[in-house]
Amino acid sequence: MPVLTSTLALIVFVAGGIAGSFGALLGLGGGIFLVPFLHLVLGFPLRSAAAISLSTVIATSSSVTAGRSGEHLVNLRFGMVLEVATVAGSLLGGFTAQLFAESTLQRLFGLVAIIVAVVMFGRLNRRNVMLDGTADPGRLGGLFHDPESGGPVTYRIKRLPVALLASFVAGNVSSLLGVGGGIIKVPVLNAWCGMPLRAAAATSALMIGVTAAGGAIIYYGRGDLSPLAAAPAVLGVQLGSWLGLNAGQRASVVWLKILMAAVLIVVAALMFMESAR
Amino acid sequence: MNRSAEFAGVRRLELAVGRVLRLGITASSVCFGLGLALALSRVDVELARPVLTTGLIILLATPIARVAVSAVDYAREHDWLFVALTLIVLLELAASVVAALYGPL
Repeated sequence: MPVLTSTLALIVFVAGGIAGSFGALLGLGGGIFLVPFLHLVLGFPLRSAAAISLSTVIATSSSVTAGRSGEHLVNLRFGMVLEVATVAGSLLGGFTAQLFAESTLQRLFGLVAIIVAVVMFGRLNRRNVMLDGTADPGRLGGLFHDPESGGPVTYRIKRLPVALLASFVAGNVSSLLGVGGGIIKVPVLNAWCGMPLRAAAATSALMIGVTAAGGAIIYYGRGDLSPLAAAPAVLGVQLGSWLGLNAGQRASVVWLKILMAAVLIVVAALMFMESAR
Repeated sequence: MNRSAEFAGVRRLELAVGRVLRLGITASSVCFGLGLALALSRVDVELARPVLTTGLIILLATPIARVAVSAVDYAREHDWLFVALTLIVLLELAASVVAALYGPL
């Protein structure tokens, strides 16, 4: 692990800021950008990069969710149902991360990045909304005000087992690779389970905090999470997610998805190159 | 439960969750800022370590506190299904703390 000098702390802080602003724009933790940077550019072992990233995921999740409280975008009930699965997945990931070779984790990271990019490209214009604000959302569905369409939006949750399975996998990948796991949950919840993208992203942002905590605690116990390296990353992400949250009001969802998919393809290519060295 | 009362309950929990998360993230960020300043300026490197560790532990505990607050709120609403779900999540988190403290299961 590199020695943390003032210069390195500043670089980690700036990287956290960039990752955090992308994360907030996309409703993800930002770890998908931060982990490859810490690992490929700064030379942190993948496990340490994942652990640092998980602590920033908790920070992003907390500040984004706190910033949105009262808007009803976050579906607390459905989120809690899915957290049973995400945290179980993250516990399993925390243990298996100790068993895998670093090159295995790198290839896994590349694979996940590609899958997500493909899913994103394939579903650029999907929306799941009942524009009638008086429709019954059911026990797990939700109702929120959408600034884009200018009216109340209602949705019902479909295919709960699919959502639970995706959440378990997301939790597992989250603590294995240090990403939030929103990259898996958000497309699934949006495409198959009836959640509008904004509600899916907001609810995922809530869930990734508790999911990441499950994994980060295990890494901390194993000595993979240094408070000195986590501090600048977390502070950078805090600043970045604040910036991203404010820019997110104006950004188009379609362009965000295209941007995200392009970045993920580059990340995947770099991870595969690194694992083959 | 009628619809508007349910809506008010959802809103109250949402605001309570927001407060817990904001408090946790503020406290840990203050510790991180202070700890980094102490470590990098070399004013008091000895003190920096416990301050940074405190910040990290507060950060890791913040989502757990959020889940605990939800459990209390669902119990007040007599929503036992959600109390049970919330307690399962808390037990899973407790398992990760136990694993961290005592090594592999």
